[in-house]
Amino acid sequence: MRSRIHWLALLAAALFLVNGCAGASVLSAVPIAATGITKATQASRPINDSEEYYVGRAVAARILGKYPLDQNPKLTAYVNEVGQTVARKSTRPQTFRGYHFAVLDTPEINAFACPGGTIFITRGLVRTCATEDQLAAVLAHEVAHVAHKDGVNSISKARWTQVWTAMGAEAARQYGGVAGNLVTLFEGSIDDVFKTIVVNGYSRTAEETADQEAVATLTKAGYDPGALPQVLDKMMAKEKGASGGIFKTHPPTSERLAKVKAEASGAPPSKDEAARTRRFKSISG
Amino acid sequence: MRIPITCKKAAGVLVALGLALLVLGPGTGWGETLEVTQPNQYLYPDPDFAGTPMGAVPAGSRVQVIRQAGDWYKVNYQGMEGWLNRQAFPTPPAGSKFSLPGLLFGAPVKETTSDEVALAGKGFTPEVESGYRQKHPELNFAQVDRVETFKVNPAKLDAFIREGGLNP
Repeated sequence: MRSRIHWLALLAAALFLVNGCAGASVLSAVPIAATGITKATQASRPINDSEEYYVGRAVAARILGKYPLDQNPKLTAYVNEVGQTVARKSTRPQTFRGYHFAVLDTPEINAFACPGGTIFITRGLVRTCATEDQLAAVLAHEVAHVAHKDGVNSISKARWTQVWTAMGAEAARQYGGVAGNLVTLFEGSIDDVFKTIVVNGYSRTAEETADQEAVATLTKAGYDPGALPQVLDKMMAKEKGASGGIFKTHPPTSERLAKVKAEASGAPPSKDEAARTRRFKSISG
Repeated sequence: MRIPITCKKAAGVLVALGLALLVLGPGTGWGETLEVTQPNQYLYPDPDFAGTPMGAVPAGSRVQVIRQAGDWYKVNYQGMEGWLNRQAFPTPPAGSKFSLPGLLFGAPVKETTSDEVALAGKGFTPEVESGYRQKHPELNFAQVDRVETFKVNPAKLDAFIREGGLNP
């Protein structure tokens, strides 16, 4: 009896010490541990920030298997400066591992927003832009796709449900290594996202929402939101005779252009655009 | 065997003390102040980056920790309560309670294959990525790692914004 009491006392004190060091309520341990068991049997839950990040990395790796990175460090640094300037004014200024911007060394005209915040713009699209504000408009549009999780939202619900089923099965048998089933499901998820952002494009609604957000972001950042319809106009002019790439994934239709023009028309005038255009031209060549 | 009364009392006190510490300890332990060491940190209404930030928390700010859930800390910053991601203070100061991860106690969850809780909470982990990479050696993850090093120095970004006549 005495030793049992001592053990209880020691256990209680030890629990407190461990808890104190870990810096969290022991009461939270129960829900967390229980959640682990419950969640594994749930049909689905939204993809979390960390999972979104790993999906984004794999999608980026596939894109970089198709296009090499541009090797101009000044241009890369500049695109990152413009990108970070708009990202911090977006509806999602932060992601799990932050936003990163890179230029792809191809004359194709395109841009890709990988889940989690890695954004690619092709050298062809940088050259299509005539000003820093137009470059900012393209990047703000892509940031909006990340903010809205348009990439990960293209993972089919059926597949995500299977992820949960696989996780439950693996957890039940104590999980001794990388689950082949999870890897296969991960692979399928990457395919879903890749098809959407590189091959088929987002839905019209997702595109229009990204345009609206880009206009708001540009205005907040101090850029001219009118730069978005300007760059769409340029893309429409280049579209004649083209059908793939950005013309399929981000189709610059006249209807879309009209909407963006209307949204951007009420914005206050942007100052110092000439200075920004000078630095754009000095770097983009 | 008979237990002396004093011994019983001492044991009772120990139990009571232990239980009291257990119950009250976390409450009295909270309120630790941490300094935000990273720039561009934001307070969120929920522990999720997808929400609309409540406001910026500049580097150097001190926040009072209310509780922790995984990678997120509920904090009080200038009277405003919200959630800060752990990336705001990646290295807690020496002696901080938050320096020791305690998986079952709500500290940052370790992403290890042997960890059932981590497994149940995270479907796509570094281990799953590793399995995917083995299946697809043609993919260029080295370049992805390189892209993730592309960062902008906060002071340089401030100068860039200022020189361009943009809004800070």
